[in-house]
Amino acid sequence: MNNRVKRLALGAAIATVMMMGSFAPAMADTVLKFISWQTDDAGTGDWWRSVIAAFEKQHPGVKIEFTKAERSSYADTMTTLFAANQPPQIVHLASFEFQMFADSGWLEPLDPWLKKDGIDLTGWAGQQKCQWNGETVCIMTNYFGFVMAYNKKILDAAGIAVPKTYDEFLAAAKATTKDLNGDGIIDQFGTGHETKGGPGQYLTEMLNYIIDAKAYWTDKDGNITIDTPEMVEGLTRWKTVMKSGVGPIDMSASDVRKLFADGKMAMRLDGPWLYGTTEKGSAKGDIVYAAPPFTPPLGGSSNVLAMPSDIPDDQKALVWDFIKLTMTPEFQRSYATMGGNTPPSPKADVSGVEKTIPHFPVLIETMKQAAEAGIDRVPTGLELYYNEFSKMVMEETQRMIIQDLDPADVAKTMQAKAESIKG
Amino acid sequence: MTDTVQAGRRKFFDLARPSRQHLLGYILIAPAVLMVAAIIVWPLILAIDLSFQQVKIPRLGGASRPVSVSNYTWLFSSEEFWLACWVTLKLVVVVTVGSVAVGLSTALLANNRFRGRTIVRLGIALPWAVPEIIAVVIFAWMFDTSFGLFGWLAIQLGFTGQMIPWVSSSTAAFWAVAITMIWKGFPFVSIMCLAGLQSIPSDYYAAAKVDGASVWQRFRWITLPLLMPVLGVTLVLTLLWVFRDFSIIKVLTGGGPLRSTQTLSIMTYDQAFQYHNFGRAAAVGVVTLVICIIASLLMLGRRSKSIY
Repeated sequence: MNNRVKRLALGAAIATVMMMGSFAPAMADTVLKFISWQTDDAGTGDWWRSVIAAFEKQHPGVKIEFTKAERSSYADTMTTLFAANQPPQIVHLASFEFQMFADSGWLEPLDPWLKKDGIDLTGWAGQQKCQWNGETVCIMTNYFGFVMAYNKKILDAAGIAVPKTYDEFLAAAKATTKDLNGDGIIDQFGTGHETKGGPGQYLTEMLNYIIDAKAYWTDKDGNITIDTPEMVEGLTRWKTVMKSGVGPIDMSASDVRKLFADGKMAMRLDGPWLYGTTEKGSAKGDIVYAAPPFTPPLGGSSNVLAMPSDIPDDQKALVWDFIKLTMTPEFQRSYATMGGNTPPSPKADVSGVEKTIPHFPVLIETMKQAAEAGIDRVPTGLELYYNEFSKMVMEETQRMIIQDLDPADVAKTMQAKAESIKG
Repeated sequence: MTDTVQAGRRKFFDLARPSRQHLLGYILIAPAVLMVAAIIVWPLILAIDLSFQQVKIPRLGGASRPVSVSNYTWLFSSEEFWLACWVTLKLVVVVTVGSVAVGLSTALLANNRFRGRTIVRLGIALPWAVPEIIAVVIFAWMFDTSFGLFGWLAIQLGFTGQMIPWVSSSTAAFWAVAITMIWKGFPFVSIMCLAGLQSIPSDYYAAAKVDGASVWQRFRWITLPLLMPVLGVTLVLTLLWVFRDFSIIKVLTGGGPLRSTQTLSIMTYDQAFQYHNFGRAAAVGVVTLVICIIASLLMLGRRSKSIY
């Protein structure tokens, strides 16, 4: 019996060693973790995969594990991973999320890497936002300009011309908001904004009207500039749009986009990413992209690439190679051709992109106008407090709408609370 | 000597002996206890430790910061905290009362003999069986201000002339959350009460009927007192569930509008993941735990006396 047991144990041990041996090549591969919310995005997701394929070809034995985390819980996921000392090697963050990690010293300063490879980021759209405490902590992946997409069929049916100003936009929105089947419920809207969900997106939606009124949350030195006549005008416009019933209430941005893509909405102000949704919608043939009726157009930094400061040096070198690859002329161009995005590189060749993405020149133009006007979603001086600030703005704005408060009083309240948040 | 010692050890670990059977119990629950310690007790200790540190985003294995009560000072002087306490209390009372009322009513109904009783019992358990997040997403759409079923029904039935802004009105948002939680919570109460009802001997009702007791008198003097032990435990469990529930509120309203549905659990999350203030979040969590413990002790304590 004992001999039999011994033979069985020996056989099991040999089998285990053989299995381990067969896994050895796979286990010897270096795996870099790359988490993103854009894995399934039409166009952009494909672009990331093309970069990953090229990188893996250049680096045999290195694999990139590309996994998705939903946008709504992305910040929570990354916060948890960094707090658990398990950050992904390739760090992909929204432009208003990386500041907390940079402030904690968890992002690798990239200036030495840029200097080593002689990379000059002059003119790289939005790159100044990646400066933190005098160091470059990330590379701007996308700097965008907003566009206005409209449903030509709906506007033509209402006899409305494409609006070029805020007043024309509001009039067009009111004229195209209808109860089509007479059941007392509006089923075609003039426009739509996110009013349910994260405060960051709520702030972005408001900004269209705020900056057209020549107002902004802070000045270039980071001083709070909310209690101004321009801001009162901006808040008044937002309140008017919200209370006029021209858009669905209590809806997230993704649901609003789908509503628009399916022909239930006349106009939608959004970034370049709207294209992926409208291409899948049932009203695809009726949708046209144009410049927004606001000056300057809303724009700003979208997302950034970085690397953790406490991964091994060999992994840092690999991650830097990946980041560099995304910055090459080849992939900056394909960022436009595949994803319909505006590449941040000033040297990106975007000629001919309009053949596949007809509205691409509009995207480039609005991006340039927003960049020249220094527009960004994240107010200077409030980067570390963006979540708290945007939540405060959303709450006070909701209070203004629900309780029908005077925008002038609301601006004063916001000014005081913003100064308190900043400390 | 060695043989004697070994024999002694064998006798000690002889689990078949009646005097050693308790060891078997300890051995069998050891894995579960270790798991609970790892998953619950250790994180709890970490959270309590974190609540006494001024820390934004902590790091596992990172250096501890000096002990400070500033998080608690901020907490007890914060308007947001007291508002969250008030909202939590309102929700606990409304949802607990609602769940018990609906649960007890459906249990009394399902306790009778009638055709289709099995299907009714299945129907009562269904809300409990549906995964919470799926149920909440469905309710979110039913409460949708522009296209929701409830708004459409309200218009069709003539209660209102326009769609109800469920999520952008403080009062409507609170009731949207409460209704969803009652829908999700009542099956548990119903099942517990049904089990309790079935343990009440029918002789008591027969004797009461002979004595001329009415339906209400039988319910008041027989059903309720004998159901109290079950109701008491059910009340405590329901109360704790409402206290700690997060997903229903997060998906439906996110704690808004204007913090009208921000409970202590939502506040904990917001402090941690919205404002990246884990020290304060831990403080809110610890205070929530203390409140739950006190509430449980008070209720279970009274329950014990009434049973015995």
